[in-house]
Amino acid sequence: MKTNYVGKSVPRVDALEKVTGQAIYCVDVELPGMLYGAVLRSPLAHARIIEIDKSAATRVPGVKAVVTGNDFPYTFGHMVKDQPFLAMDKVRYVNEPLAAVAADTEAAAQEAVEKIQVKYEELPAVFDPRKAAATGAPIIHENLERYDHSSMYKIVPGTNVCTHMTYSRGDVDKGLSEADEIFQNEFYIHPVAHTPMETHAAVVQHDPSGRVFTVWSSTDAPYQRAKDLANALGLSFNQVHFLSTYSGGGFGGKGAIVAEGIGVALARFTKGRPVKVVFSRQEELTASQVRLEAFLKLKTGVKKDGTLTARVAEITWDNGAYSSKGPEVARRGAMTIFGPYRTPHIRFVSQLVYTNKQPSGAYRGFGTNQVTWACEAQMDIIANKLGINPVEIRLKNFYQDGDRYINGQVMQAAGLRETLEKASQEIGWGEQYSRSTGALVRGKGIATTIKGTATPTDSYCFIKVNFDGSITVLTSSVEIGAGQKTVLAQIAADSIGVPLDSILIPNPDTHVTPFDFGVTSSRTTYHMGNAIRMAGQKVRKEILEIAADVLGANPQRLLLCEGKIMDKDSEHEVSLKEIMTKKYGGKGGTILGDGHYTPARSSIINAEHKIQWMGSIFWMWATHAAEVEVDTETGVVKVLRIAAAHDVGRAINPMACEQQIEGSVIMGISNTLFEEFKMDRGRIMNDTFADYKVASMLDLPVIVPIIVESHHSEGPFGAKGIGEPALSPTAPAIANAIFDALGIRFNELPITREKVLSALRERDPVQ
Amino acid sequence: MKISIDLTVNGERHQVDTTPWITLLELLRETLHLTGTKEGCGLGECGSCIVLVDGRPVNSCLMLAVDARGRQITTIEGLVSNGDLHPLQQSFIEKGAVQCGFCTPAMILSAKALLDENPDAGEEEIKQTLSGIICRCGNYKKIIEAVRTASDGKADS
Amino acid sequence: MNRLKPFAYFEPTTLPEAIEILAAKKGAAFPLAGGTDLLVRMKRGVIKPSTIVNLKRIEGLDQIKKEPGRGVRIGALATFSAIEDSHLLRLSHPVIAQAVSVLACPSIRNLATMGGNIGRASPASDAAPFLMILGATVSLKGPQGERELGMGEIFSGPGTTASRPAEAITSLLLPDMASHSGAAYLKIGRREGMDCALAGVAALVTFSGGKREAEDTKIALSAVAPVPMRAKKAEKTILSGRLTEKCIREAAKVASEEISPVSDMRASASYRREVVRVLTYRALMTALQQAREG
Repeated sequence: MKTNYVGKSVPRVDALEKVTGQAIYCVDVELPGMLYGAVLRSPLAHARIIEIDKSAATRVPGVKAVVTGNDFPYTFGHMVKDQPFLAMDKVRYVNEPLAAVAADTEAAAQEAVEKIQVKYEELPAVFDPRKAAATGAPIIHENLERYDHSSMYKIVPGTNVCTHMTYSRGDVDKGLSEADEIFQNEFYIHPVAHTPMETHAAVVQHDPSGRVFTVWSSTDAPYQRAKDLANALGLSFNQVHFLSTYSGGGFGGKGAIVAEGIGVALARFTKGRPVKVVFSRQEELTASQVRLEAFLKLKTGVKKDGTLTARVAEITWDNGAYSSKGPEVARRGAMTIFGPYRTPHIRFVSQLVYTNKQPSGAYRGFGTNQVTWACEAQMDIIANKLGINPVEIRLKNFYQDGDRYINGQVMQAAGLRETLEKASQEIGWGEQYSRSTGALVRGKGIATTIKGTATPTDSYCFIKVNFDGSITVLTSSVEIGAGQKTVLAQIAADSIGVPLDSILIPNPDTHVTPFDFGVTSSRTTYHMGNAIRMAGQKVRKEILEIAADVLGANPQRLLLCEGKIMDKDSEHEVSLKEIMTKKYGGKGGTILGDGHYTPARSSIINAEHKIQWMGSIFWMWATHAAEVEVDTETGVVKVLRIAAAHDVGRAINPMACEQQIEGSVIMGISNTLFEEFKMDRGRIMNDTFADYKVASMLDLPVIVPIIVESHHSEGPFGAKGIGEPALSPTAPAIANAIFDALGIRFNELPITREKVLSALRERDPVQ
Repeated sequence: MKISIDLTVNGERHQVDTTPWITLLELLRETLHLTGTKEGCGLGECGSCIVLVDGRPVNSCLMLAVDARGRQITTIEGLVSNGDLHPLQQSFIEKGAVQCGFCTPAMILSAKALLDENPDAGEEEIKQTLSGIICRCGNYKKIIEAVRTASDGKADS
Repeated sequence: MNRLKPFAYFEPTTLPEAIEILAAKKGAAFPLAGGTDLLVRMKRGVIKPSTIVNLKRIEGLDQIKKEPGRGVRIGALATFSAIEDSHLLRLSHPVIAQAVSVLACPSIRNLATMGGNIGRASPASDAAPFLMILGATVSLKGPQGERELGMGEIFSGPGTTASRPAEAITSLLLPDMASHSGAAYLKIGRREGMDCALAGVAALVTFSGGKREAEDTKIALSAVAPVPMRAKKAEKTILSGRLTEKCIREAAKVASEEISPVSDMRASASYRREVVRVLTYRALMTALQQAREG
């Protein structure tokens, strides 16, 4: 089908507002009578709360409410309902909120917070999930089994194990016995912060008469947050009203109730006055959520020619003190630890363990970063030991169309091979090059990834064709910053046949825009794109029927293109606006089309009995190839070049795909080489950007984004997704390149300058 | 302790009452309601709050409002002139230099100061100039392209 | 977000007035220069000054000017941008622009001042090492009058200077550089963009034209001791022999041995030691080459 917008790098529809400073983010929301919130946070990692004295705080001029956990004794949780809005009986991590103040000014709220007195009884704390899983460890949630949770997540009562899961397919022992070599390796991946430039924020207003909480938020899934809040407070869904703002970045971090929870607790007591809560950067870094830390063991059987015969994985994930989306990360992440490789016999054990640390949750990749780190580093180890080219060993084992995934789903693997071929070619894989100059040594590495999307999940939308021919698309997909509005507007424009600039996509409003699972899991283009496509086709049909009626023509002979209706027979052309005006005259009217996409009935996800939930409606493939230069005297690793090839199905907007790829590469470099939490008894010492270092413009390598288009049979115009898989191959590609340069293998992240030098000195002591 | 100060913001003179402990950032956002200037850390480490003071980029979170007395302040809201976008605003749109947009005002203003001083600025100079602004979307490559598009000289320095 | 707490505020227009206020408030008043460090520490609650004395309205404190026969005088309130852009300094002391280009980032350099940097007495100062090798002296003014301190005397410990109560840093004097001299400042952080130095090394080589001996060599280090320091033992190694590559290698080794680095969340002592050796070597080699060319 010919398209006017799909497939083109049209500029972002939200760019004008953003370059002029007019875009309203959550932190910019101002309402009449608005109060400001501040939070009292725990100085201890694990302690019983004996007493909270808020009397002095309430006397601070301008203070309107001082709220503790006992005043607002509710808990929430998306997967396991384990998290209090404000700590009640005990605190479970340093900086956990335990009281909050609403006041006329931020300064008064802060002053009052400092006047709240708390008596604690300190409890033994545990920070390593492996120790927390052992018998005798301090128990963090005494009544774990009593928490509401989905039966999908197996809790182990009496322990800190929040989710335990095992899965196997084939006969691992048989597979291992068929191997010529067995590789056993352990890997570690560290927690990292999302650091969206806009910290967590919320403005909440409680209308006492209607019992409705209105929440302004830049969260990534307004329906999920509203649902979880309603569920926590015993309200119906329509009593928690989310209004999305623009978002200053999410990366998974805005996929939980964070500032919203504090705002709700305060607004309950401010007699209708709205309350604004904005996290400081220190709060963002220490008390929002982080990527799950993971310890991974991989045992792999391989034939001499590189054929994989069996793989066994054991993963221990750090949940932190509360669950957020940890249980699903531990489940979905574990499933792809075997990589994009055909492996006849597999088994994994995945356990998610509570510790006395900041909660862990979704982070761009949703577990894929962790497992790809282990899988792809080990593929390199295997290739090196067996003397096989790392590109060849991957090609040899890659899924082919028709191969079965670990749950029996038949794979659509087109695109996978192409990502590897193009990325390795771009980096000059196998070519001779000058490897060292003085202290500087170069190397190259590659890594591939497989990433699915949460399946089955649903998206709904409405398209309104207004009486003047302008179009409003009602969707709950937020603009998290990745170009959602632009891509969806392109799909709408081509599905209906109208100009892009006639389309407006307002920010989501859960009282108006219909359900969407969320801007998560790289699902928006595919799922909401499909919903919009359906709704677009409906309104297009109706427009043509109306036009036929108005013009006295045959609707089958009418075309709608760029907002113009043309009669194929007479070649007579009328604008959509004219048709709408003729039809609705002065009294007005609307053409309304709805779209609902669900992959639930698609044959693509057919799998073996009961394990359909492990599959994915589409699989995203990617390969990154990196070239690094290591200063062997200082340990400085300079990433010179990264070629990043991604199978996106079809690039609805190639420039937006490039943004995702280039941005992920930078984030990947940052995660891999610079970012690291420094902890002291559960306290994060580097709680500002002065010491939590993320990549700057001076750390930018040459990035070559490569878009591969395999055309998904059920995707809108063939599209799949791109936001998440772009990050996970970067770390192993860099580590594999460092190995190529130095012959030193780093199995633990991050690979800081100091660690590189230390490893070099261990191997080659200075004379 | 109230202090009355005079300052010019985006060409418009303002006389405002403030206190000495109010930063320029807070004055712009909360008193003058110019929310295009963003706060990302409040500690001078992220660059989101950069505005131009007498044409030079500064972190407005680390400048007291009283020190803006008598100075010319330019915020992102002041870049559109007679309804026309500044060439940098145009190139940021066209080159895809905007993702979440939170660092965008700071990037554009810093780039403006650079190009006002050196219209031929090359890639290395652009990188140095913008190195104090974090873009977590990681859009650095396209931001550099956008600044280079708006600069006169395409040659690297 | 991070907010400042209320304080009493003074905005003197003359230096004597400023000194008078500082003296009257005893230790409770803090002078405000660029604010890039002071305001951060106030926002974080590390310090809680009850009084702020803003020095920015004092005329003439931000000047950079030639002092014939003595060198170049940099006013305490001169920003690092003004210093970096100063045509005068670029000609007289080119190492300064090179060193300042790795100090924080441009927007911070538009605020931060030389006097503030010295007054802060950070062990990891990026300015102190080059001031030390250039033989700068610091002018102070207080209730008892004016005095000068060498860069070797100004720091008394991490975060503290040898200034007396109510004494303010007013300027720095940089003696002219000898001909046939070269200097460089190298630092290492955790990433390429703005970062606190894990180790910083400034080196100066003054080369006697035609000969192979260095007439004068100075090495100064930051982030590897309680205060920025001269590596005097390493300097001696060089002065005692011919300035060969081997000699520089030895000096670098000596420098790494005469420091007393700490292990903290930024880096371990052993990493700092190792890096000081490498950076000292590289800084000396760069300075030597410049000296030969100059």
